[in-house]
Parts: sequence; C-alpha cells; structure tokens
Amino acid sequence: MIDILDLKKEYVEEDTSTKALRGITFSIEKGEFVSIMGPSGSGKSTLLHILSFLDRPTGGSYKFLGKSIDDMTDKELAQVRNKDMGFVFQSFNLLSRLSVYDNVEIPLLYSNILPSKRHSLIKSAVKSVGLEEKLYVEAGRLSGGQKQRVAIARALVTDPNIIFADEPTGNLDSQSGLQVMEILESLNHKGRTVVLVTHETQTAEFADRIIYLRDGLVESDKPVTAHHSNKVALK
Amino acid sequence: MLFRDAFKTASRSIAHSKMRSILTMLGIVIGIASVIILMSVGQSAQDLILNQVKSIGSNLIIIIPGAPSNGRFSSPAASQGIVITSLKQRDVDSLEREPSVSAVAPEVRGQDNIIYGNNNVTVGYAGATADLFSVSNLSLGQGQAFSKADVDSSNHVAVIGPTLATTLFGSSVTPINKIVRLKDVSFRVVGVLSKGGTGAFGVDEGNLVIIPITVAQKQLLGMNYFNVIIAEANPAYDVAFAKSRITFDIRQNHGITNPNKDDFTIETQEDILSLLGNITSIFTLFLAAIASISLVVGGIGIMNIMLVAVTERTREIGLRKAVGATNSDILQQFLIESVLLTIVGGIIGITIGAAIVGLIYFLLINFSTIGWVFAFPISAVFLGLGVSTVSGLVFGIYPARQAGHKNPIDALRYE
Repeated sequence: MIDILDLKKEYVEEDTSTKALRGITFSIEKGEFVSIMGPSGSGKSTLLHILSFLDRPTGGSYKFLGKSIDDMTDKELAQVRNKDMGFVFQSFNLLSRLSVYDNVEIPLLYSNILPSKRHSLIKSAVKSVGLEEKLYVEAGRLSGGQKQRVAIARALVTDPNIIFADEPTGNLDSQSGLQVMEILESLNHKGRTVVLVTHETQTAEFADRIIYLRDGLVESDKPVTAHHSNKVALK
Repeated sequence: MLFRDAFKTASRSIAHSKMRSILTMLGIVIGIASVIILMSVGQSAQDLILNQVKSIGSNLIIIIPGAPSNGRFSSPAASQGIVITSLKQRDVDSLEREPSVSAVAPEVRGQDNIIYGNNNVTVGYAGATADLFSVSNLSLGQGQAFSKADVDSSNHVAVIGPTLATTLFGSSVTPINKIVRLKDVSFRVVGVLSKGGTGAFGVDEGNLVIIPITVAQKQLLGMNYFNVIIAEANPAYDVAFAKSRITFDIRQNHGITNPNKDDFTIETQEDILSLLGNITSIFTLFLAAIASISLVVGGIGIMNIMLVAVTERTREIGLRKAVGATNSDILQQFLIESVLLTIVGGIIGITIGAAIVGLIYFLLINFSTIGWVFAFPISAVFLGLGVSTVSGLVFGIYPARQAGHKNPIDALRYE
C-alpha cells in the first residue's frame, strides 16, 4: 500500500537548512497496524505528514497504492486524502460549535457522496464508536475521550483504506486512551491499515510493527512481540 | 464541494457569530441605504422639476432675445441679465399670422415694490397678454384673468399669486377688487392664481404679479421690446416644423441671412425638458457617487473582519484541507460568506432606504407646500443589490484567497 524509498525532507529558510528526513525506506502492506516512534526531532511528524499527503518530500520516492506522489497535483492529493485516508489528531480538531453529526459530515462535504446518502454513513460511523446517543450534541460539550471517538468517526465516514493517527491518546486519560486504542485496533482487525505516531511505548505496542526513527533515519523496524502483556499493563 | 454545502457552511458561520456579522454588515447597510435615499430623492426632484416645466403647457416654443449659446449648459445672453432689444411687436404680429402657431404670448418682466396698506413687498412682475393664462396653463383660484380688452385699453388690473395675496391681505380679506400699488401705479386685483410654488424657469408663481403688457411696457418699464415670447405650436403641426417656421419668420423680420448671426434663441419645451433632465440626472448620479464612498468604507470593513475571521479559523481551514478540501473549496466558502454578508446588508439597506424615502415623502406632502412626487426607482434596488454583491466579491476575494492558500500543516498547528 505504501512504498517509500530513500525519502528525504529538507526545510530551507534563508541561509539555513534543516534535514528532517535523511533517507527513509520501508513499505506498509494493506491491513497492517504500524507505529512510528522516536524522540522529539526524530522526524516522525514530518514522515506522517508526507505519508498522509499533507506535505511533499524533497527527495526519494513515495508510492501510495502504486501511484507516485510526484505525479499527482495538489487537487489529486486532496482527493486521495478525502477518499482513501482518515485522520485522527492529538488535539481532536473538532469544530466545537457544530454538533457531532455536523463534524462527522465534514469529509463528506468534499466527496462525491450525495447529500441524501450521507445521513446513513454518518449514523453508522458514529455508532461504530459508540456515540449514537450524542449524535446531535454540540462537540464542545463532550469529554476528551468522546471528542477523540467523534474524530475517529469522522476519519471513518468516507470508508478510507488507511487511518493516520497522530498521538491520538496524547490528550487523554489512560482509560479514554485505552478505549481509543481499542477502537483503532478493532478497525485494524476489520482490515483497515492503521499508521500511528506516538512516543508512548505501551500505545505503540498495540501495533503489529514499530518503526523507530532517530535523527531522520530509521533506527529499527521490528514486529511487536510482547503484544498481549503490554496491553494488559495499559489496562 | 457542492454549492449547496458551501452555502450551508457559510451561512452557519455567519449565524454562529451574530453580533460580529451585524456589525460587519453595518457599513454596507448605511452605504446602500444612502444610495437608495439619494437616488430616490434625486428622481423625485427630477420628476418634480420636469412636471412643473410640462405644466406650463404643451407644445410650447420659447423665443428669447440674444444669440444662442455655444455651450450646451450655458444660457443665452438675455437670460443672464444682459439687455437685448431684438424681440419686437412685428415679431409677435408675424407669429400670429403663422399657421403652425396657435397662440402667441409676449412677456416683459420687472421687479419692484408692491404696496397694500402698510404691507410693502418686493416682487417680480410680468407684463403679459391675456393669452399667457391659457398658454402657460395658469389657473385662477379666485376672481378671473384679465381680458384682451384690458390689455388693449391698458387697464390697471392685476392677477397675483396666492402667497403674495396672503402676505398683502392676510387670510381673512378677499383680495378681489382691492387696489394695490406697484411702482407707484395703482392696480385693481382681479384674480388670484390657484397654485403657488416655483413654476417654470424658476418663477415664483406664489409671489408673481401679472399685469397687462401694455401697462408694463409703457408705464412701468418704458420699453418697446419683449423679454420673451412664448408661442404655442398648432396641434395640427409638428413642434419642430413650427420651430423652423418661427425661426424663418424672425430671421426675415430681423434681416438675418447668416444663421450663425441669429439675435434670438428658440427653445422648445422638449429642449428644456431634455436639458433639465440631463442636469438633474447628473446631479442624482453625483449624489449617488458621494453616497457610494460609504459603500467603499463598508467594503473595507468587510475585508477587515473577514481577514480576522480567516486568522481565527486557521485550524478549521487546516482540518478541512486535511480531510480533502481543495484551495478553491476554502476560497469558495469564505467568498460565499462575504457575499452573503453584503447581500443581506444590501437587502437591509434597501429596506431602510425605502422606509426613509417613504418618511420624507410623508413629511413633505403633509408639512410643506412642495408638490413632492414619490419616486422609488426599481433600478436603485437592482443597483443596491448589484453593488452589494460586487463589493462582497471585491472585498471578500483577498481574505478568501488568504484562507485558500493556507498550508494545511501550519494551519493545523496554529494556536
């Protein structure tokens, strides 16, 4: 699904340049659950932005579903983000004055899905995160855990192939964090690819595989072995 | 993004910040209301002036002494106060013989004191023939007009305007058959005009005194020429034809062979209406242009608030872009928002403007003697809506572009 080869990202400002990614190579298969870890400044957020088409690399190649990012226009990138990708952010990014329904509807506004077909998709997405009774509640009135579940429903509503989650438990208490991770895990079990960026080892170990970055390079890329024990510890 | 969705999103944003939206619209509301009021009042003034010119009689041809002016908007020499003696009785006589002319009313004009008892007022007076009343559509409220016999016999009779009648005699005394003195000559008042106000050519009919032309020429002004001759075209003939015949007759009387050396000016009522129409239209446009300055100020206000809104909603823009919005989707959303604000502002402005125009009409009709004409040009409504839409687009495009070009990563990180 994702193939990156010698991926580089360099930020140039006036006379100084910063190499955020120095040549990263890996692949992610459809249905995988991958965590990207690393210390601050290791390049994990930059990598996630490029993987999720929010930014372009300055070197190397990136193919998503076999198509190179270099061959796509900004409009095509936006279409792929809408159709094939779902996003879960650390700070939820809900529009607090809108209802849960309206927040979940946002990605559908930019899709080709007709307004008449949206209602069932929204209800089903909200139901899948267990918040159907909050459908018409203002997002600003929800708890942190509920907000993140709404954000997951919003990520799911277009039925994407892959979900990118950037520190999804970072602003949550452990109980809510666990709920969110279990939802992501169940989505993965249903066949969705999940790419998670986190600095918490226990959260990362919900994945099948952890890619560890340091100074813009892959330091390690290993399958998770102590899966069960860490999840129990988190619980 | 469907237009319907963009419209819904934009209207929701406006509804969520009501106070800000109202304050943002205020500039446009005031601007559009000003344009509507000034255009309507300008149209009313134009209708009033043109109606008054029309009311002096149809098919009128005015002959003024002095060469025609070169400039369209400059008046002939005689109407600027220069004494020109070219129009004489023989001109009147030849026009009376002209088949394309049905009536001829020569006039002389002067200004002096009129006295009744202790009341002494300075007035403008006209020496005229009896035909003036029919040619100029002057109707009598009391008494009657003087006759041709009065003119031929140089009788000292006068018809006065209603305002002057009240000033001289008060409201309880009947002016008819009272003796007034004009330039130390006694006149018996035989009639009072029915309506006051300013008539054609700026004559204050309310304060006018009309006396036989023979008396005015010989005893008051000591002149044997005329200040103006008003001719009425015979309905069986075209006004332009009558005008050409009159021109021919007077040129012949004056021995003029070169048309560029005319010592008189002929204007038809149509010429005057067209000139006045042009002047008042320019005046109305000028007023509307001044009012539109407030629209520009209102538009800048919209741009300012929209820029603040774009900054405040940076994270929202970032989110929308992350989930699939393109630059043009975001641009469209913010542009619809600003156009919606200005259109709603425009509609409110038109409503307020119409209400104020109605109020002005009500006040002028009920509390003044001006025969105000109600005018609410539908073009002003379309102009108001058009201008507000355009100002929404013009002043909204910059903030909308700013929003559309935001980098999604920076926007998502914005605190």
